[in-house]
Amino acid sequence: MGDFSGADLISDLPQSIIESILTRLPIRDAIRMSILSSKWRYKWTTLTQLVFDEKCVTLTNDGAAVLKSLLNFITRVLFLHQGPIHKFQVWTSYLQSCPDIDQWILFLSRNDIKELALELGEGEWFRVPSCLYKCKKLTRLELFRCELEPPLTFKGFVSLKSLNLHQVLVAPDVIENIICSCPLLESLSLSYFDSLALNIRAPNLKYLYLEGEFKDIWLEDTPLLVDMSVAMYMTDDIAEHFEQSSSCNFVKCLGGVPQLERLSGHIYFSKYLSIGNDPGILPLTYNHLKTIELNQVSFEDMKEILVVLYLITSSPNLVELQISGSSNTPAATDVPDLEFWEKKGPSDCLFKRLKVVKITDMSGVTHEMGFMKFLLGSSPVLEVMSITPCVYVLEAQLNILIELVRFRRASSQAEIVFCSD
Amino acid sequence: MHCHCQMSEGAMAVVKPEMKSYIWLQTVDGSIQQVEEEVAMFCPMICREILQTGMGSSKNYAISLPQRVNPAILGLILDYCRFHQTPGRSIKERKTFDEKFIRMDTKRLCELTSAADGLQLKPLVDLTSRALARIIEGKTPEEIRETFHLPDDLTEEEKLEPLRNITDDPRIRLLNRLYARKRKELKERQKLKNVEVEEERVDERSVDDLLSFINGGDGDSKGTRTKNKKKHRRRKEQNKDSSSNNSNWNHNKEFDPLPLAGQNGDLNDIFVGSPSRNPKSQDSTAANFSSKIEFVDGDIDDDLDPAMKEELDREVEDFARRLNSDWPERMQEILSLGQERRPVPISMNDNGSASRYTSLGQR
Repeated sequence: MGDFSGADLISDLPQSIIESILTRLPIRDAIRMSILSSKWRYKWTTLTQLVFDEKCVTLTNDGAAVLKSLLNFITRVLFLHQGPIHKFQVWTSYLQSCPDIDQWILFLSRNDIKELALELGEGEWFRVPSCLYKCKKLTRLELFRCELEPPLTFKGFVSLKSLNLHQVLVAPDVIENIICSCPLLESLSLSYFDSLALNIRAPNLKYLYLEGEFKDIWLEDTPLLVDMSVAMYMTDDIAEHFEQSSSCNFVKCLGGVPQLERLSGHIYFSKYLSIGNDPGILPLTYNHLKTIELNQVSFEDMKEILVVLYLITSSPNLVELQISGSSNTPAATDVPDLEFWEKKGPSDCLFKRLKVVKITDMSGVTHEMGFMKFLLGSSPVLEVMSITPCVYVLEAQLNILIELVRFRRASSQAEIVFCSD
Repeated sequence: MHCHCQMSEGAMAVVKPEMKSYIWLQTVDGSIQQVEEEVAMFCPMICREILQTGMGSSKNYAISLPQRVNPAILGLILDYCRFHQTPGRSIKERKTFDEKFIRMDTKRLCELTSAADGLQLKPLVDLTSRALARIIEGKTPEEIRETFHLPDDLTEEEKLEPLRNITDDPRIRLLNRLYARKRKELKERQKLKNVEVEEERVDERSVDDLLSFINGGDGDSKGTRTKNKKKHRRRKEQNKDSSSNNSNWNHNKEFDPLPLAGQNGDLNDIFVGSPSRNPKSQDSTAANFSSKIEFVDGDIDDDLDPAMKEELDREVEDFARRLNSDWPERMQEILSLGQERRPVPISMNDNGSASRYTSLGQR
């Protein structure tokens, strides 16, 4: 190929732009740029962000071969690389535990690594080497299917802002220590932990995502928490534990989060909150709470309903509410207190900002209807209430509709959308 | 100059005139233009200039923009700023605008990226970088070169290095080839001298060698001899010679315009460093071939007797000397040498006689 008459358009752009372009390409393409011209030959080698996935290598049916070529590729890249590496991410289910990964982490620990993300595929979990704990500049750590066992001298990651552990084997006290020894921690995500009783002390924490079998969640020191999402799974152990617990879970969990803006609970979260002493008239107000999402709320359990009510009435600025019922609750043991909702007249409180309500998995039980009636009557600026019945109660749908139509609406603009599919 | 109020004097008292303030900007070609203040302030660099130096308030004190910002591109950038600094635009609106905005030819896009960087307008730099990355992604190297007018100035070896990590010393490779050639020659001579059973083996060997040379372009072992385990990669542009008994001739190779090597393409290595750039040339370090070479692959000499070895050594030294001298003179030398010495790579025919290769693209 001959030369082109036009001048080179791109090679002389500042390195920061070149890097900006190269990091937006899949890494294999970025490295291939090195054969374009002599100026481009080593431009990729100073990239500070290396992101790998299975697209880096040719995929065949032979998983072991793919793994081998992937390991090879990544090792070669590291070997050719020059300068600091700030982000290193390997995100593929082909990755298996092997000594190469240890060496990568060692290499990275010597090169100012700031963001490290490793996802391993199914198989043996990777035991993280001790050099990881020496990465002083680490700001983000994400591990899937690994084992963490920091040495006793480990004092925490002083710069860590984001921690995401998914299917990670780590002793409970160790995880608590890690959390509280990372003073700058802003985002914490723990998923698929078994029977963990968690005590979180993270003064800068803003985002919390928990999913797994938690025995206990105590947000001891999280004053700046803004966004919280908890999915609690249940096992028999935990159910027992719940029964025996005497502390007020609501306060433990939501007692110290005045800045909360978004709350999302799944599966057994509302049940968890309902356990323990009745919070009574606690001066808890969530002035910033705008979105509440509570799933799998059992409307046959009075306690859970009280929790929901308490929550929404303590959030004067609530804008969006999503509730989903629990379709597999056992049959109610008590006769539902029909007077309950009559007592909670609209004069009790008004949801002055509530605009959107979504109720799903409705079975049409008494308390669900009562709840809806209550909401409709107390939301003067409501715009949309959408109701999706549970798929198992096709027959009851008509009844639900009939009742619904009767409810008084405080908001003249309220649209009621009934989704039956 | 630009007054929004055109009204009669009577109305003056009632309506307040909108006086916008303007910033004066000067591009590298000397032309000066004025821009609404809020639009100009969207660019951090301009903003800083105004705040720190107080420039820009009048024509005489126009802010000088970086060299990369020419008037046409400045116009584009200001359009961008004007749109985005207007409050109240939804995210969707902004995205739609952005998508339309970056639809332009590649040259402009590159200029825009550079200019945006000069003005430190990070959102625009991100936008243009993304667009450039999208352009690059999925293209073949040739296509990328064409799009961005990049010169194809890497040698074949260099193109492979980043991904393949060739660790061979090219001088050793060259030497191997020299020895291989010499050995063949000597073998042929020996064959003529003594007709033995060995002959057959020798014959096979030369065919194998030829085959492997020819097939070398497929990325297979270049190794001319079965013992040589070193792998070399040859690329398609190598001109491969063959004798007529070879049927595995790969035609997907371009032929080099210069009179070229027989088996070795050695002259390719010589080409390096010449001003008339041969894009198919081998790694440039081959040109710095010194006469003191460490020969690594020792088993090459196995079959040769000492006398032959000496001759070989002499030849190599000679050859090395040639490599270090200038190409044009060398070329003359080689051409003029003709039959008397045979440093010119030759083609081997079956009957062992040599014929110099002068025409291209021929078998």
